[in-house]
Amino acid sequence: MQPITITLDGNEVSGYAGMSILALAREAGVHIPTLCHDDHLPDIGACRLCIVEEEKSGALMAACVTPIASGMVINTRSPRVVTHRRTIVELMLASHPDACPVCDKGNRCKLRGIAAEMGLSLTQLQRVPQVATIQDVNPFIQRDLSKCVLCARCIRACQELVVEGVLDYFQRGFKSKPATFGDVPLESSDCTFCGTCVALCPTGALMERDAPYRGTTRNKVKTTCPHCGCGCSIELEIKDNRIIRSIPAETDGTGYRPLCVRGSYGYDFTHSPDRLTTPLIRRNGSLQQSDWEEALTLVADGLEKVISKHGAESVAVLGSAHCTNEEAYLLQRLARCTIGTSNVDSGSRLYSAATILGLATTIGLPQPANHVEAIEKSDVIMVVGADPTTSAPAVGYAIKRAVKGKGACLILIDPRRTRLAFFATLHLQPKPGTDIALLSALAHVIVKENLLDKEFVVRRTDNFEPLVRSVEHYTPEYAAGVTGVPAGQIVAAARFYARARQASLVHGSGITQYPTGTDCVRAIANLALLTGNALRKGGGITTLYRESNSYGVMAMGLSPHLLPGFRSATDTRARGDLETLWRVNLPDPPGLTAIEMLQGAISGKIRALYICGEDPISTFPDRQMVTEALASLEFLVVQDIFLTETAKLATVVLPGASPLEKDGTTINFEGKIRRFRRAVTPPGEGRPDWQILAEIAARMKRPLPFSHFDDIVAEMEDCVPGYQYYGGEGRDFDIQSTGTRQQPVEEAPRGFPRFSPVEYQVPAKLDDHEYPFLLLTGGVFPHHSNSIWSLKAPRLKKFLSQGYAELNPEDTHSLGLDNGDTVKITSAAGEVIAPVRSSADIPQGTVFIPCSFPDIAVNVLFRIRLDTQSKAPAFKSCRVKVQRVDSDG
Amino acid sequence: MAEQLLNTKPDLEKLTAIIADYAGQRWPLIPLVQKIQSEFGYIPQESVPLIAQYLKLFPSQVQGVISFYAQLYTKPRGKKVVRVCRGTACHVRGGKTILKLVKQNLGIEEGETTPDMEYTLETVACIGVCALAPNIVIGDRVFGHMNPKKVEYLLKRGGD
Repeated sequence: MQPITITLDGNEVSGYAGMSILALAREAGVHIPTLCHDDHLPDIGACRLCIVEEEKSGALMAACVTPIASGMVINTRSPRVVTHRRTIVELMLASHPDACPVCDKGNRCKLRGIAAEMGLSLTQLQRVPQVATIQDVNPFIQRDLSKCVLCARCIRACQELVVEGVLDYFQRGFKSKPATFGDVPLESSDCTFCGTCVALCPTGALMERDAPYRGTTRNKVKTTCPHCGCGCSIELEIKDNRIIRSIPAETDGTGYRPLCVRGSYGYDFTHSPDRLTTPLIRRNGSLQQSDWEEALTLVADGLEKVISKHGAESVAVLGSAHCTNEEAYLLQRLARCTIGTSNVDSGSRLYSAATILGLATTIGLPQPANHVEAIEKSDVIMVVGADPTTSAPAVGYAIKRAVKGKGACLILIDPRRTRLAFFATLHLQPKPGTDIALLSALAHVIVKENLLDKEFVVRRTDNFEPLVRSVEHYTPEYAAGVTGVPAGQIVAAARFYARARQASLVHGSGITQYPTGTDCVRAIANLALLTGNALRKGGGITTLYRESNSYGVMAMGLSPHLLPGFRSATDTRARGDLETLWRVNLPDPPGLTAIEMLQGAISGKIRALYICGEDPISTFPDRQMVTEALASLEFLVVQDIFLTETAKLATVVLPGASPLEKDGTTINFEGKIRRFRRAVTPPGEGRPDWQILAEIAARMKRPLPFSHFDDIVAEMEDCVPGYQYYGGEGRDFDIQSTGTRQQPVEEAPRGFPRFSPVEYQVPAKLDDHEYPFLLLTGGVFPHHSNSIWSLKAPRLKKFLSQGYAELNPEDTHSLGLDNGDTVKITSAAGEVIAPVRSSADIPQGTVFIPCSFPDIAVNVLFRIRLDTQSKAPAFKSCRVKVQRVDSDG
Repeated sequence: MAEQLLNTKPDLEKLTAIIADYAGQRWPLIPLVQKIQSEFGYIPQESVPLIAQYLKLFPSQVQGVISFYAQLYTKPRGKKVVRVCRGTACHVRGGKTILKLVKQNLGIEEGETTPDMEYTLETVACIGVCALAPNIVIGDRVFGHMNPKKVEYLLKRGGD
């Protein structure tokens, strides 16, 4: 392409075709003031501040929307340009209140900055104030449209970045303003309070509400949002050891990502008054404050005592997906080396194990890399059992951008009508638990209609014939009978998916939390293999791991089946390597998984449990069993940042640090290494978790060789292939270097990705009569899954703090229930009381209860039923009955 | 939303039928709302989510377009629209008084509709027959050389 040369303020500069004058000027270091321009938004030339003069024609034009043309002679600061620019700012000031001294936007206000730069203060023009009548009462965003300059940054952010489409221009001329549909307050609209508009607003028109500090601070820390698996970059503004603001940051690897409500307003859990501030020790039956020395010695002695009395295998270590990689590594090292037990697992087992196993035995990689950017480029996106708009908003945004902006086709497979349904070309609503039949029927259609990628299947995969035989009887008609999805829709979905140039499959815990979760992941992998999307760049499978570091803790070996770097715990070579590096004899595999540990506690096999960051009583199914198990332990140590239900049963409670208070890395669901950087110090005597673990090890008979954080990092870089700390940010966790590519060799003789036939198991229809409803659980906006942290964030809690049971209007009608009535929901295992909401988004015969609220402990309704392969318990749906409870009893 | 519409708007089916003809495309938004307006006399607020759903736009976008154009109405209008000219020539020849008289006569302000749904009062910048100033337009008929008596006579006669 020919470079285009123009004259800019007397100098010759060159750019490429299509480049705007503004972009070229920025590149050349020429400053042009702008208000409506933002690098992440498409330019519209709304504010006219960037006007420049073309000398030859005398035309004034907006630099942001005018492409350069050969031979242009541009003046950016001629007297004429400056006069016009001043007039524009003066006109803006004429309809802007004189509120600068009391405006919270302060020095961050772009309009004020530009006016100051031009030496403009109060305008001589007649004032035409804008009237702001909207009163928002939500806890997140405050609108004062009298300060609006109509730059449409909020509108573009809402429509093109996060694609919620809540805001658009309303009316024209002087009356014109950005407004919601019906000009209602944000909380009555579809707004998700992602805060993108607030972060981009140049003036004080859009501000965060209830901000802890009104001024501007210079102290900023770039870190990673700790809430979900997206791992978006955030920039925290700090004042006096308090986080006062969180805005999207641009970093290597993930680039600029708009945040969600949790990223923008969920950081304040870290300053919750409920935080643990000192170690607690159980004395005479109650937990009492203590000091570190006493608590750490007690933990080390207590563990040693159980080891010497009952053997190391009677001790178990349970981590969590909230742990950083370093902590997860240290935790498994503590278990395997210092304690000498293979019983090491994390709460992530419940949601992620089925995926890791299902993918490892088919595609061969526990992490098929499909980045968010790749999803956005797909022409067909199939979302199965996930609501990314709630559980992984960055993926939700990408999907919506692909659909709205690039015309991609979205196939949504979800029993509920989620927010994505508005964007879906096809919404398949199978009965809960019938996904395997539906996915197999899709495979059936693809095989029958010969839509498969033959070359890929023949040359790069294995075990094709058995798959063809297994899907033979999953005709669309049969699947329609099982799933309730019309056969025509199944055929249409299969054709869309198979004919795509590049198709992404996104799945979440909506399919893995069933007893057949692993099989369901295989069924998904089969589809991706049949169409050749599995290993296609930009196609493939994206797993939305539920918790922030689900993938990382598995990669660090916090699992009874895996050693660091996804190497099998039974792999003798890996064991040998690690034994040499660690200078220990590793305990015999396999150890117990999370649920088995608790079952072991009841049977007396497990006597001591060390829990780091997990709250099994609140987040595991079968609350009664879990409570009994923890109560029957001889010695229970809980390391957490809050006094959780689990911590209340502990012998010793150790106060850790939140991810915003410590250094470390995490791996997001894309497999990218992300950095946490310490922004504030933990409250009271709280310590970074790695330090606590290292000190416990130091007090035991077989200490670990770590006294500094860097010691851990150095050993990990040796022992965990693919892991990098410094300079690793944004890079992919290098799965290839871990050698896991060879892992499925035992099953696949040729080492190729392998089809894995699965069968739909018809559930026993025993309790339909007694328990006519099917219960579904899941996360709910604005909280994240079981919301251990988000419910401690004041603003998120203020928005929604009470649980409820959602039913289809037909069902509430036939049960004679009104919104707000109290019902008792009973399963074979237990019962909960909840207020009713009716919602057409829930299919008939189904009850949805969010798993986010401790006041409605949905986990009491579940009995433990393990996936025989991944040992993950079913925790998505069960049969229940719904009864009205009269208000007086 | 849909149930609510069924109860309060018996013409939902007609509305949906009109919108469905344009499903799946973005460009026909303006012809579509014009068609709705010609059928219903205005664009019911309830039609906006439906239009958005069929045309794959956001309701706020549809609202933005509708509120932008002066020719599109979001409230029901009277059988006859009275437009009083406020152009320069009419102004000079007493258009302001004519407007005041029409308001008094109909008992409504600019942009409003009489309770019996007979008249809607609007103003226009110029209708192009300045020689006849001051002018008013009722329905699609232009009346020139207006004076107080003529205003009263015209509105009494029902604008014929």
